[in-house]
Parts: sequence; C-alpha cells; structure tokens
Amino acid sequence: MKAQIRFLAVGLALACSATVGAHHGFAGEYDINKPVQVTGVVSKVEWTNPHARFYVDVKDAKGKVTTWNFELASVNSLRRNGWTQTSLKIGDTITAKGYAALASKTMANANGVTLADGTSLFAASSAPSVQQTPSR
Amino acid sequence: MRTPLLASAIFAASVPFLLAQGVDSPTTVNLGGGSAWRGNVPNGPVPRLPDGTVSLEGVWQGGGPSANLQQGLPKGETVPMLPWAKARMAAMKPADATEANCLPATTPRVPSTYPWRLVQYPTHTKATHIFMLFEANIHSFRQIFMDGRKHPPADELDPSWYGHSIGSWDGDTLVVDSVGFNDRGTLDGAGAPQTTKKHVIERWTRKDLGHMVNEITIDDPGAYSKPFTLTFEATLRVGDEMMEYICNENNQYGIAGGKK
Repeated sequence: MKAQIRFLAVGLALACSATVGAHHGFAGEYDINKPVQVTGVVSKVEWTNPHARFYVDVKDAKGKVTTWNFELASVNSLRRNGWTQTSLKIGDTITAKGYAALASKTMANANGVTLADGTSLFAASSAPSVQQTPSR
Repeated sequence: MRTPLLASAIFAASVPFLLAQGVDSPTTVNLGGGSAWRGNVPNGPVPRLPDGTVSLEGVWQGGGPSANLQQGLPKGETVPMLPWAKARMAAMKPADATEANCLPATTPRVPSTYPWRLVQYPTHTKATHIFMLFEANIHSFRQIFMDGRKHPPADELDPSWYGHSIGSWDGDTLVVDSVGFNDRGTLDGAGAPQTTKKHVIERWTRKDLGHMVNEITIDDPGAYSKPFTLTFEATLRVGDEMMEYICNENNQYGIAGGKK
C-alpha cells in the first residue's frame, strides 16, 4: 500500500511539475548553472515552512563526512504535490540533485531525489526550470 | 491522511477524462501567479446566502496581482509608473522582497500559489464583515467593513499593509474601497512601489460557482502618473482547505545567497 501511494504521489507530483511556489526568488540564492548531485544518508528532515529541508551526510573518498542542506518547497506545496513528512526519512540513503547555493558550499536547492530502491521523488523546488511563474 | 492523497492522485489521473467531458480546464488565465491547484473549476450557478446576497464564500486561487502587475492590464498597456518608482523598482534586490522576509503582501495582491478563503459574516442576515484569509505568504487576513461606516479621518488612519477597507454591494458586485496604506508594501513580486497616497477600488463579481472576476482600479499619485485598472480572475479550489503556514518557522532566506 505504502509503495503504491508513493508511486501515485510521484505520478501526481510529476503531473504538477510546473506548479509549485516559493516565497523567494531562485536567482538571489542559487545558481541555475551549477547543478549538484550528491549521494548520502539523510541525517535530518525539517518539515517546516516557508521551506522544508533535508540534510544529507555525504562521505568523500577519504571518509570525511560533509552535511549538505537541501531546500525544498514549502510544506504546503509539497503536501499538495503528494509528499508527506515520511517521504524522506532519517537513515534513508538517497541521491539528491539540485542547484548550488551562491554563497555556501554545502547548501543547494533540490529538484530531484532518488531513494535507494530507485524511487524518484520530485522535489517541488523553486528552480526556474520547474516553476511556471517566478515569485518571491 | 492517506485518503485525500489517493483521491488527489486519482483525480489527477482523471483530468484528461474530465476535460473530454467538457469540464473547465484546470488552468485559467490571469491567475495572478503560478497555479498550485489542478482541481477542475466548477461552472454551476452563483450561490446565494439566506438573505439573498450573492455568496462569495469559498477557497479561491488568484484574483489579484502576484508576480507582475502587467498580467492584469489589457494587452498593449503598460503600468504608468513615475520615474522615481521605476528607478526604485530597478534597484530592488531579491533580498528586499517583502515575502522573502516573511512580511505581508499588500492590497490588492493575492498569494502567488496558495489559496485564500473569503468569509462573509454573518451569513444568516446581511453581513457586517467580510474577511479574506490568506494561507500564505504570510498567514494573515484582510478585514472589509460592510456595516456602512466610512474611512476614518486621515489623521486617524494608521499606515498599514492591507489598508482600511469598506465594502458595499452594487447589484451582485462587491465593491471594496481601501485607503490607509504604508509605503513598504509592493504591488507585485517584481517590486512595483506604492505610497501612502494609494487608493484601491476592487469590484468582485462571481460569474458562476467557480469563477470570480476582480476589476481593480489603483490610484496612487505618489508613484503612478494616472489611475490604472487591472483585471484578474479567481477560481474556486474545490476540495482544498487552508493549511498552516508559519513563515518565520524556519526562514533561512539569505544564507544560501550570502545575505545573512
């Protein structure tokens, strides 16, 4: 049942991929020309407004762990796009894609998350590529 | 919690079928921002309250400027902005945006993608108040006095984000007259300025169950060379409800961009 719901949620989210909102503009915070992709373990999820966030512990080749802070849309937009507060859980191994922050080396705006089982979760981000009307 | 999600998903899957059946397209023009709601918009008759007044109640999407004022102007027209206002807008940085700082929008803006609810109070007899409840951004409300009072004298009118609003009925059209604004709010997300001289008249007409047109005249001689009129349409979000949205809960705006 859970897997089915997740599947439906993802389908719904993809159907709505141009509809999410943001409370600030993308350009002042993130660089659309700097895509990032990391794989690691979710260490914290903040199911909050104006943006939900997840934190991923990413280990490099030498074993050094860096914690990334990925911004999602608001809880309200995520819920209306099929996410729930358990869509991402602490301990999940994930691959997160997004756009790098302008002024931080460990922050990014998420635009896609893939779980270890291959399930993709659309991130409902504020990136221009997935937002119909930029808003602040 | 699971059932609404499933219902939404099933609805999303059925949209093409509904379209084939002649139901309105879920997307409409002049939403005043991106549309976060993909439910179908109903076309039924305009509902009325027990006293015969047209009911404007419901959870709505759009109906006012959001990202850009220009979206509400007739084709070919431009906003008659004074030079200083143009210059201020051009100099505006993303960090200056009120919404990014969890401050309210201003009349007649509506949230970009979030729903708002109109409440007529009371409903069993002539309403004395109308409230516009905003889910975001930020959680706040507008209050429209329907009891026949006038605006307070200028020296008692405190500058505010949403202004002082009095409403009356012109047939089935709700006419809302608002004054008493601060000079901090912006008329759209792009930063169109306003001054304390701003005077707004909104004319809200519910065309049918699912559609409500708002014809807005803005007169602000402090920032615009002449009054201008915008038209937006609100659409009913059937099945949606207001959600909590506390903007200050975890606002990290500015950190990623190096402004904090």
